[in-house]
Amino acid sequence: MSIIQSIKNKVRQRSIHVCYVNVGSCNGCDIEILACLAPRYDIEQYGIYVHNNPREADILLITGAFTEQWEDKLKHLWDLIPEPKAAITIGNCPVSGCAYNRRGARIDPPVSKHIPVAANIPGCPPRPTEIIGTILELAPVVFKDYEEKKAKEAAETERKTKGAKK
Amino acid sequence: MKKVVDVSLPIGPVHPCFKEPARIKCETMGEKVLSAEVEMGYVKKGIEKIMVGRPWQEVMFLAERICGICSVIHNMVFIETVERISDIEVPIRAQYLRVIVNELDRMQSHLLANYSYCYTIEHETLAMYLINLRETVVDQLELITGARITCAYIIPGGVRFDLRDEDAETLKAALDKCEKDISRFVKIFEEGPLIALRSKDVGIITKEEIIASQAAGPTARASGVDFDHRLNHPTYQKLDFKPIVLNSCDNYARIMLRFKELFQSIELIRECLKRLEGLKGETIRGGGEVGEGEFTWTGEAPRGGLTYHVKTNRYGHVEEISVQTPSIMNMDACAHYMLKGADSAADITAVFISSDPCISCNER
Repeated sequence: MSIIQSIKNKVRQRSIHVCYVNVGSCNGCDIEILACLAPRYDIEQYGIYVHNNPREADILLITGAFTEQWEDKLKHLWDLIPEPKAAITIGNCPVSGCAYNRRGARIDPPVSKHIPVAANIPGCPPRPTEIIGTILELAPVVFKDYEEKKAKEAAETERKTKGAKK
Repeated sequence: MKKVVDVSLPIGPVHPCFKEPARIKCETMGEKVLSAEVEMGYVKKGIEKIMVGRPWQEVMFLAERICGICSVIHNMVFIETVERISDIEVPIRAQYLRVIVNELDRMQSHLLANYSYCYTIEHETLAMYLINLRETVVDQLELITGARITCAYIIPGGVRFDLRDEDAETLKAALDKCEKDISRFVKIFEEGPLIALRSKDVGIITKEEIIASQAAGPTARASGVDFDHRLNHPTYQKLDFKPIVLNSCDNYARIMLRFKELFQSIELIRECLKRLEGLKGETIRGGGEVGEGEFTWTGEAPRGGLTYHVKTNRYGHVEEISVQTPSIMNMDACAHYMLKGADSAADITAVFISSDPCISCNER
């Protein structure tokens, strides 16, 4: 591991920018994310910043049961986020649709059908501590050695294409 | 034709100061807003449709999940409608416990609304104070009902859990802390020169415009409309409830009104606790059977009047249901009257948040 990579790993553990998007929840999970900002939980002491701007986010928090209107918009939002990135769903709704998953409801869960999801936090709604804990546990795993992994993958694909040409 | 509009400015649906997805489209001339429009439909799930044909036990939980911020009042109004359909009597101790939980829910909702406003006008210190105080209130809600957000505390013929003596003591101590802290925050809010610049005479809506747009709740009461649905509620009538009215019609009045309602809620809870002392050991669940009938009932949500129209069959299944929430009128009033003539584009979000829109309630 190069020195630059180890510095990047270190920094990324303590600088996580978060964007949250409501794709059809009841607000319960959204206000639990807001409660994380409160000095009691103090999400910023762990270096997590809630910006709500997808262009500078590292982690996308998704709440809600995925309504029809978000079909193309969530994919677009996901594409706006720069690499490396990860999506975390909050609550039961993005996993199963929770109480709304009945015949006739205009929802399309799970969210993992539409964009790649790294972790789910079940609960209706989950507690703020669980949200903070998940972000802190997941972020170092996803962002660790990102550049090296990417270089390795690029080399792998190049080797394969060359092999195919020969 | 001469071009009058400079820029068509869309804000949202994902925006740093919105809790929920909505889009405001403003037609601006320089910094001045000429007209505004709110575009919705991002979280429409069709809850009313899936409620139809289900037993009340299931609809009760679905009603609560219409809105996470004001979940207790949705639960309460639905259960009260069902009780009026089937003539179920509520024990007097349960009635006061309902008021306690409802007022705690109103407190946390108002604190959250004022937090959002302070955060939007970039007074982050006060915003953080308010959201930290909200945790104290939510803790009390959790202590009494067992959950932070979706409590399902109120059931036909009573409530689920009794208030223990030690919990009543904790609640009293928490109320004292809230009162002390809120008086301090109100002082900060009143004396802050920045807050006055951003809030006074911004987003004005007159009493006539309120009546024309049918706005409800704190938005209406901050413009001099003396009405509150709690006046029609039998338990609140016993507690001699009087609504608070302010007359300055701007953002400042709306936020101050919510602060004043917090004090009022604290007083109501104290009065209930005093009366509960004399009702120790009495039953909290009367029981009863949900029967056939149709009824419309309105309760006062933190944002205004919330109406449920329910029709049940003789097995207690819901055959027809329609919900009317207050935010739709408030947002309409906001778009057509408050935003029109706003002097700066920075005021758009502040004005919109000051009316405390709840989009999940609206779209269901």
